[in-house]
Amino acid sequence: MSREGSPAELRRAPSPPPAEKIGSVPHWYSHPYNRPELYRLAEVMAWLPRTMRLGLARQLGRLAARLMPQEREAVRTTMTAVTGAVGARLDELTGRVFRDFAMCFSDLVSTNREGPARYLRRIARVTGAGPLRDLDGGVISLTAHMGNWELAGRLLAGHSAKETHVVVTVDEAAKLTRWVRRNGDGVRFVPRARQTSSLGLLAALRRGEAVAVQADRALGNRGDVMVSFFGRPAPFPIGPFVLARASGVPLVPAFCLLDADYGYEVEVAPLMRVARSEEEAALRTWVGLLESMVRRRPTQWFNFFDIWNPFGA
Amino acid sequence: MDDRAVLEQLKPILMDRLKFDPARAAQVTLDTYLPKEIEGSLGLDSLDFIELAMGIEEQFGFAMDEREELDKHFESFDTLVRYITSRMTQG
Repeated sequence: MSREGSPAELRRAPSPPPAEKIGSVPHWYSHPYNRPELYRLAEVMAWLPRTMRLGLARQLGRLAARLMPQEREAVRTTMTAVTGAVGARLDELTGRVFRDFAMCFSDLVSTNREGPARYLRRIARVTGAGPLRDLDGGVISLTAHMGNWELAGRLLAGHSAKETHVVVTVDEAAKLTRWVRRNGDGVRFVPRARQTSSLGLLAALRRGEAVAVQADRALGNRGDVMVSFFGRPAPFPIGPFVLARASGVPLVPAFCLLDADYGYEVEVAPLMRVARSEEEAALRTWVGLLESMVRRRPTQWFNFFDIWNPFGA
Repeated sequence: MDDRAVLEQLKPILMDRLKFDPARAAQVTLDTYLPKEIEGSLGLDSLDFIELAMGIEEQFGFAMDEREELDKHFESFDTLVRYITSRMTQG
C-alpha cells in the first residue's frame, strides 16, 4: 500500500517514531466552531421554529465567514479546485459553505436530538435504500462531512434493532460531548482513543451490528493513503475498508443533504464489498463517489482546512 | 503447546501480515507490550490489531469471541499468549 513511509521503515525502530505518538498528530478539526459557547447558542436556538432558526443560522454563518479568515481562505481554495469558479461566483460559493454549515450544525444539535418520530419528518426523499432492506447482519455506514451526516447515521441505526457504533476522533474539547456525541436511539459513539478500539468494532460487526464512519478526513498516521481527488493527490483513511474486508460485511455509502426547501434528501449508493488486497481499490471507488457528490453539492462539504495537505507538511 | 511455542507461532504473523522486519519480530518476548500508546511497545496501531486478530484465527484455528471485550487480551504478548492458550484448550 502506498502509505506514508514504508512499513519496514516504521518498524525497525524499537518504538514508534515520534510523529506517530498520540498528541503529536495535528488536530486540524479544532476550528473555531468547536467552542462550547457556540453549541450553547445553537441549543438555545432550538426553541425557535425551524424556519426562523435556520434563517438566524444563515446570518450567523455569514458572520462566521467574515470572522474566520483562515477557514474562509481554505474553503475558497477548495471551491476553486472543485468548481473552477472565480471572482464574484467564487465569493458566493465560499460564503454559502459557511451558511449551509451553520444550518446543518443548527439541525445537528436540535432536529437530530428530537427522536426518530420528529426528525424523520425532515427527510424529504430517500433514494437507493432498497438493498438495505435485504441486509441481515453487520454493515459499515460510510459517509463524509457533508450535509447533516449524523442524521444519515441515525437513519441507518433506525433500520436495525441492533446498535450502531459511530467512530469519532478523540476530540480535544471534551466539553462538546454533551451536544454532539450523545448516545441514544441505538447510537453509541466510539472515540478512537485506543488502538485496540478496532477490535471492538470488528466484534460489533460480527455480532451483526453497524459501524458508522466518516471517511473524508485523513488521520495523520500510516492508515492514510494518497488518492487523486479533483486531479490532485489527497490523503484518505483506509481503515474502514480494512475493517470491511476483515469482517466480511458490506460498506454502505450514504449522504444526507439539505435540499432547496430545507428538507433533507438521503442518498444511499450501491453497497461495496472488499476482498483481500482490494482495500485500496475500494478506497479509490469511495473517493470517486465522494468527488461526484462534492461536485454536485460543493457548498455542503464541510472541511475548513486544506484537504490536499491537511497537516501542512 | 507451551507459552513460548505459541509466541514463536505469532512471529510469522508479525512478519507476513503486519510486515515487521524479521529482526524486530525476533526481539519480541512475552513482556513486550503491543499498542503504540504504551511507551516502548511494539507500536501496533488500529489496523495492525485487525490484521493480528485475523492472523491468529487463521494460524490457531479458532474465532475470537465477539461477545467478549478483547482489548485486555491484546495488551502484551503475555496476555495474548494466555488468551490463545485458553481458547485452544476450550476448542
